[in-house]
Amino acid sequence: MRVLISGMGGELGSRVASLLENESWVGSIEGIDADPPRRRLRRTVFHRIVPGQHHRTVKVITDFNPHVVVHIAVWEPHARAATATARSLTDDAATSILGAAAECRALESIIVRSGIEIYGRARGSVTRPSEQVAVNPTSEYGRMVEQIERTADSISRRVGVSVGTLRLATVLGPHVPSALGRVLRLPAVPFSALADPPFAVIHQHDAAEAFVLAARARLNEPLNIVAPGAITTLQAIRRGRRMPVPLIGPEWGVARAVTYLAGAPVPDHVQEMLHRGRLADNSRAKELIGFAPSRTTSDVIEQLYGWPSVVHTPAVREVA
Amino acid sequence: MANPVQKLADVITMPARTAGSQATSAATGTVAHLRSWTTNQVDDWGRDDAFASRAWSLSHLRWATSVGGAEHVPKRAGALIVVNARRFALAPLFAALAIGAAVDRPVRFVGRPDIAPLGPLMQRLGALLPIEAEIEGALRAGQLVVLGAAHTRTNLHTGPIDHCLVGAAVAARVRVLPAATVSVPMRRGARVEIGHPVRLSQRRRGPLEELDTADQLQVRINAVLDELEGTMTGTPIDWLPNILVGRV
Repeated sequence: MRVLISGMGGELGSRVASLLENESWVGSIEGIDADPPRRRLRRTVFHRIVPGQHHRTVKVITDFNPHVVVHIAVWEPHARAATATARSLTDDAATSILGAAAECRALESIIVRSGIEIYGRARGSVTRPSEQVAVNPTSEYGRMVEQIERTADSISRRVGVSVGTLRLATVLGPHVPSALGRVLRLPAVPFSALADPPFAVIHQHDAAEAFVLAARARLNEPLNIVAPGAITTLQAIRRGRRMPVPLIGPEWGVARAVTYLAGAPVPDHVQEMLHRGRLADNSRAKELIGFAPSRTTSDVIEQLYGWPSVVHTPAVREVA
Repeated sequence: MANPVQKLADVITMPARTAGSQATSAATGTVAHLRSWTTNQVDDWGRDDAFASRAWSLSHLRWATSVGGAEHVPKRAGALIVVNARRFALAPLFAALAIGAAVDRPVRFVGRPDIAPLGPLMQRLGALLPIEAEIEGALRAGQLVVLGAAHTRTNLHTGPIDHCLVGAAVAARVRVLPAATVSVPMRRGARVEIGHPVRLSQRRRGPLEELDTADQLQVRINAVLDELEGTMTGTPIDWLPNILVGRV
């Protein structure tokens, strides 16, 4: 089996590639991204292609002719790029990579990264939506992942391959760029004093494992990937021993400007999460692909504050 | 040897010192409470177990609630418990807390507004939005959910039951239990009596099953209310002594 991974340069993509290398059903692996992988991969071929280079992307993918495509190239707003750039990069990647994959004769399955932001948090929406709940995104990131799902679905209908969508909660990990992670690690963290609703996250290793399991099972439907349990912003702040800054409403604009200057911008999907919460029903993941997260939401938040900013790795051998 | 003037000063300022130390300890205690409250954990639906326990303890100041028929509640599986609701009695909330304490399981209730700060506060107590998909999700996950019937002015009979919300239990294929709640405004006693699960004599394949279940629930709750001598009208008539001794 030939597996293509888009977005392999990120922490999540690198981890997925690393896990797929250990899978017996996987033959050759190739990956595409604008940045090189973040870990050593032994039998994976990497192609450094900037999103937007459609011709090169199409050539690399059609030459490889993959059986399975794992599409992870999704830019969360203000994780690595500002909202407009993130939207443009995500659209470019989805169009060229999924479009090229549709031209491959051997293609059997596509696994796409999405997010639980797709359900939206409009007033009166289900607190803990399952996969059957109709999508109604209310943030820019939600609309971005909805567009990716729509593109993947249209390929599924036209080409007749299975398309599995993993709707991830906010991915947190020691080296994962995350707008939420940055905000929570500020010395003083704003939170909604009137609501302080609960939210759930997922650890990067668990998210990577879900992609591997979904690819192995040839998932053919959307699936929520969420760590068990939930936590509120105030509880997270207390665990991290940060200073809570209670906000009621109008001053959120000022708080967003201040956090932006402090290097932790609050995009609209994160603000929505802090105001309205974000949970999702994860019960079908075990049933469909046998996925059971190893860390609860509270564990991931505990670890968020436990991760050092700089990791000093001693040299294996002194040379000078 | 201590200076006698200083000893005298100690005696004179002692009440002030005591008050000061008491205020300090009270403030320290409050801060400690606030700290422990903000480090509580919430579950997958946002229910804060410690907060719900405190609310239940606090409710003892007003109500002495007893629960009957707790053996009908499943040990682990999900179930929908439908209760009658007298106006302003917060019957679903108190029923959920009382049943939760009786069966030692978290019990959720339907009826959370989606507006801060009341909505999130009730979510900490285990409230769900009155949306079919939300109730069905909780029931499928093996949760106990209390649903209130339409409000009435008395404990004499129950109001209509929303068959769409009962449909969540039908879709999730869990037990549906009737429960009668009786409380008297001028007394501390309150009672939650859970009945046997509702079983329809005729299986329906379509939406009539929800309607039949809702109708059956209404009949069964009224029957239990009759057994409990539900003679409370919710008006000043209830305050008359002969009615005050009503059994709850």
